[in-house]
Amino acid sequence: MNGYGGKILRVNLTDGTVSKDPTPADVARDFIGGRGFGIYFLLKEVPKGADPLGPENKLIISSGPISGMLIPGGGKCDWTTKAPLTGGYASASMGGHFTAEMRYAGLDSIILEGISPKPVYLFIDDDKIELRDASDLWGKSTFAVEKQFKEKLGEEFQVAVIGVGGENMVPYACINHDYGRQAGRGGVGAVMGSKKVKAIVLHGTKSIPVADKDAYRKAGMALYKACKDAEGLKEWTRYGTTIVVSWCDEVGALPTRNFSAGSFENGKNLYGPVMREKIVITDKGCFGCPCPCGKYSRNKKYDNYVEGPEYETIGLMGSNLGIDDIEAVAHANLLCDELGIDTISAGNAIGWAMECYEKGIFTKKDTDGLDLKFGNIEATFTLIEKIARREGFGALLAEGVKRASKKVGKGSEKFAIQVKGMEQSGYATHNATAMLLAYMTCDVGAHHNRSWAITYDLQVGREKVVPEKVARVIWLQNFRPMFDVLGGCRLQWVELGIDRDLYVPALEAITGVHRSWEDLDKVGERIWNLTRLYWARENEGFGRAWDMPSPRFYEEAPTSGATKGQITKFEDVNRLLDMYYEQRGWTSDGLPKPETIASLGLSAVVA
Amino acid sequence: MPATLRLGASLRILIGGQDEFTVEPGRSVRDTLVSLGIKPELVAMVSVKDEMQTKDYVIQEGDTVRLLAVVGGG
Ligand code: SF4
Repeated sequence: MNGYGGKILRVNLTDGTVSKDPTPADVARDFIGGRGFGIYFLLKEVPKGADPLGPENKLIISSGPISGMLIPGGGKCDWTTKAPLTGGYASASMGGHFTAEMRYAGLDSIILEGISPKPVYLFIDDDKIELRDASDLWGKSTFAVEKQFKEKLGEEFQVAVIGVGGENMVPYACINHDYGRQAGRGGVGAVMGSKKVKAIVLHGTKSIPVADKDAYRKAGMALYKACKDAEGLKEWTRYGTTIVVSWCDEVGALPTRNFSAGSFENGKNLYGPVMREKIVITDKGCFGCPCPCGKYSRNKKYDNYVEGPEYETIGLMGSNLGIDDIEAVAHANLLCDELGIDTISAGNAIGWAMECYEKGIFTKKDTDGLDLKFGNIEATFTLIEKIARREGFGALLAEGVKRASKKVGKGSEKFAIQVKGMEQSGYATHNATAMLLAYMTCDVGAHHNRSWAITYDLQVGREKVVPEKVARVIWLQNFRPMFDVLGGCRLQWVELGIDRDLYVPALEAITGVHRSWEDLDKVGERIWNLTRLYWARENEGFGRAWDMPSPRFYEEAPTSGATKGQITKFEDVNRLLDMYYEQRGWTSDGLPKPETIASLGLSAVVA
Repeated sequence: MPATLRLGASLRILIGGQDEFTVEPGRSVRDTLVSLGIKPELVAMVSVKDEMQTKDYVIQEGDTVRLLAVVGGG
């Protein structure tokens, strides 16, 4: 099958066997790859009600047809599972060089099933596939393990590894790769830990069959040329995602002190140019990327090196905790990476705890003696360790803010900044109704990357609640995650602004199948509806209540910064949902109507 | 000597209109944008000689100031 490695690898951890199935042609036709394969296999193979950390759950790793190809950003793979953090759908994208090697080993997906009786790692060298003992690696940091494998096997082997957070099944544990890239959100690392898989180590040498080599070369070159000619290339490469810190601060989108505001009085100390000047020593990118957004830093203050921090970590571990020291943020980033926990959820959870402390809900008796005031850098470092190890007060925060605030009560639920149990990522949404809706309806919880609409809010009027905004959010939700289906990075389109139509001939040359963006958007819409159906299948009573944002965004206006005094009205939150459900073809409680399912050709998939 | 304000395609998508303005030096980028009727908050990045500047940057004689928006986000 052109454009595919051709095999799905199944690893049964319970009995230690591995097997390969041909990649089903009809699934490739209808779902293409990446997160399309992920939701298909999740729905079909993981039984209703499966414990996310039990043997019935599966961890499904999928590349897409542009992964490992000479297409800008073709270094992404998708990690889908039932999320321990939310009890719903998780799909985390990981960059680096893992997916290319996976494809060169002939694999479109790797599906981890069951639970191993002892710690193991999965070794793949083309057709040599083995589960090997990892007892001596258990407890080690992600970096130490990656380094050990690289030294032993060679640089060409790619490593995806969990840290102590994953071993301890922290529901927002991540999977690390390439010393600083992650499959970050929803707890994919906890699922890998529950299966007792410390690492996947792989290398391949096979070629990927391509339908039309000349056309592929031409289309690939056209994409690279567009990136090279892009007007923002120099700045993007110099600053990466930190390019937006100053802008978010200015427009009130920079999460500050547990999202109580969107501008930080000391934000300037965290801006991209400050970081570049103070700590960045070089740029680092994923496979085949012409515009490397990774910033590799030498942190003299803490005497270490780290990839990052990128925007989200600066927001959540910096301003959101009242920390204005970029070196401290970089160190917090490093600790999270070494221990294998998501910086976004961890920063959000620590921000919630700091607010509880400042409000007197926690005292030092609760916090293991930590003086958890906003801005306390040392306490932040200590808490990161405690969370990953589930030690003392850290064990509470390791639950995530939804569960932790439910346990603690005393009104702390109101400032637990999450949707569907996932901590909100780095954009404050006090008066940005399209972005608020994007978070409310995102298919994994409060994550920004499916639909990012703040500029659109500013363009049309941030408080406006109009059908055009809802349509924009839906269009982005259908279209942007298609990069996670194709196995590529969206940032070349997002940040460099290259024409998305350039991907169409590339995809056709690789797979031999012509798909316009209209066709691809339709695939995106089908996947979006399937993920919604998955949530409903797994959660009794799932509906509108699950889409509600934190009350912080409709009850409490910030008292400072660009959004001072601004808020979204509660009735507008509901109006947004009404319009959204209607435009999606869902019921007033947010469930896809039978006729919508039928019109998208999904009846057989969900039967 | 006047300076040049160059609007990147990402910004033109948002506001339409011309892509280049000749402006007088001595004022901040923010004030200059306001005087041209462009909402400063739509501009995410100000670049002068390939260095990122804030909108408080005071435009110098002969500068070419490049302005970009963030349309897509992370
Ligand atoms: S833009 Fe960043 S995330 Fe995307 S491929 Fe390049 S380095 Fe990777």
